[in-house]
Amino acid sequence: MEKQEKIKILYVDDEINNLTGFKASFRMNYNIMIAVNATDAMQHLSAHPDIRVIFCDQRMPGKTGVQFFEEIRSRYPKPIRILLTGYTDIDSVIDSINLGNVFRYVKKPWADDDILGAINEANKFYVSNSLLAVKNEELQRAYDELDKFSYSVTHDMRGPLLSVLGAIEAAQHMDDISDIRKMLMMMKDSVRNLDDFIQSIHDYYNLNRGELEIKEIDFNELVEEQIKIFNFTYLTSDVTFNTNIIQKETFRGDILSVKLILNNLLSNAFKYQRKDNKNKTVDLNILVENGYAVIDVIDNGVGIAENYLGDIFNMFFRASTQEVGSGFGLYNVKAAVTKLNGKITVNSEINKGTHFKVLVQNK
Amino acid sequence: MSAQIPNFIIIDDSRLDCFIAEKIIQNSGTYSSVKSYMEATVAYEAIKNGNIGDDSIITIIILDIQMPVMNGFQFVEAFEKLPKETQAKFAIFLFSSSINENDKNRLGNYPSIIRFYSKPISKDTVAQIIEQV
Repeated sequence: MEKQEKIKILYVDDEINNLTGFKASFRMNYNIMIAVNATDAMQHLSAHPDIRVIFCDQRMPGKTGVQFFEEIRSRYPKPIRILLTGYTDIDSVIDSINLGNVFRYVKKPWADDDILGAINEANKFYVSNSLLAVKNEELQRAYDELDKFSYSVTHDMRGPLLSVLGAIEAAQHMDDISDIRKMLMMMKDSVRNLDDFIQSIHDYYNLNRGELEIKEIDFNELVEEQIKIFNFTYLTSDVTFNTNIIQKETFRGDILSVKLILNNLLSNAFKYQRKDNKNKTVDLNILVENGYAVIDVIDNGVGIAENYLGDIFNMFFRASTQEVGSGFGLYNVKAAVTKLNGKITVNSEINKGTHFKVLVQNK
Repeated sequence: MSAQIPNFIIIDDSRLDCFIAEKIIQNSGTYSSVKSYMEATVAYEAIKNGNIGDDSIITIIILDIQMPVMNGFQFVEAFEKLPKETQAKFAIFLFSSSINENDKNRLGNYPSIIRFYSKPISKDTVAQIIEQV
């Protein structure tokens, strides 16, 4: 049989005989904890937050079972509460069940089957409650994200469009052809910005909803491909691009995520250069060995201020006005790294440069 | 009010939007000077240090809301802490491509914002702005 952790059950009763009897009957199947009074019970509850079911005797000196349940309910809402009682107490039991303090009751003296049935039902209820709580939390997170998302998407998509619209309007009154050319170049940036943004949304969707597709990755090939992409985009820029790729073993991973990570980190490294720097460089080092791929992207560009480092992976955060950016790139990088069970770290110094290190496990 | 022609400064992180606003203001003919800032922090420092702003002519600030590092609202907050004599040299007009309800409700909290306009800026907007100062 598969070894599974036993469900934790707490039984509170002032009669020692009942406690030992209960424990003897059910300890094979469950992890039974016993308490002779409320104080002991509280100790168990605080030491074991994963107790799933609490049985409590109604008639105890000082405090009734109903009172005990009422007391612990707000502090320990998760365990399912079951009352053990004789018929004479039935009125208080009914009230208690109606108030929601007690899940059900088992009459005393109990039969083993009644207890087992009660545990079974209570456990099912506990499990579905826990699942529901997790789902609720996920849903709340998704809602919050959607709120932020829809506002920023409207802004980031309309922004470049309205800029272009404004430019067309302004061009109606411009006679100087060199001014118009200048403006056309800026319009091109604006359109490219919008296109990048739409591409990022696509990446975002894939990362959050798409399945991993594990394939063999040849990093040399992948980097060749990236160089081609960047030669197109940054053809005119004077950045020296150095690559050092050492792949000692076959690497398996989700190629789309790896591409996204490389593409975003490299494009940032190229973009955020210091304009007055004579020796602009971007270094890409990849080392694949011992079941890991380590990717370093290093530039000697503008750097990121220390107080922004904590925010750079947040959605829509932008630390610089130097270049057009969607505030989406590093958020997606982080999501991709997380999806691959990897790690990303950053070191940066203003006007010295930035170093991103990504560690991804071989599948 | 005297018939003096205002100065303009534009604070917007989009190079194109700055350029458009400059051109439209220049085409209107009703300006003494026009200058763009792509970083709100730089504009703020210049105002604080008295490098921009004129004692005799009002300076109109065309201000974008969504900007990295210091956004339009943060700029206004900092601006409203400056001495009254400094503030009096400027008139702020807020611009954005979109505004959410939250931001709309915030407008009332800032007495120095004269009006909000949707982007893009047009020659009619510039004419309206000049009428208001």
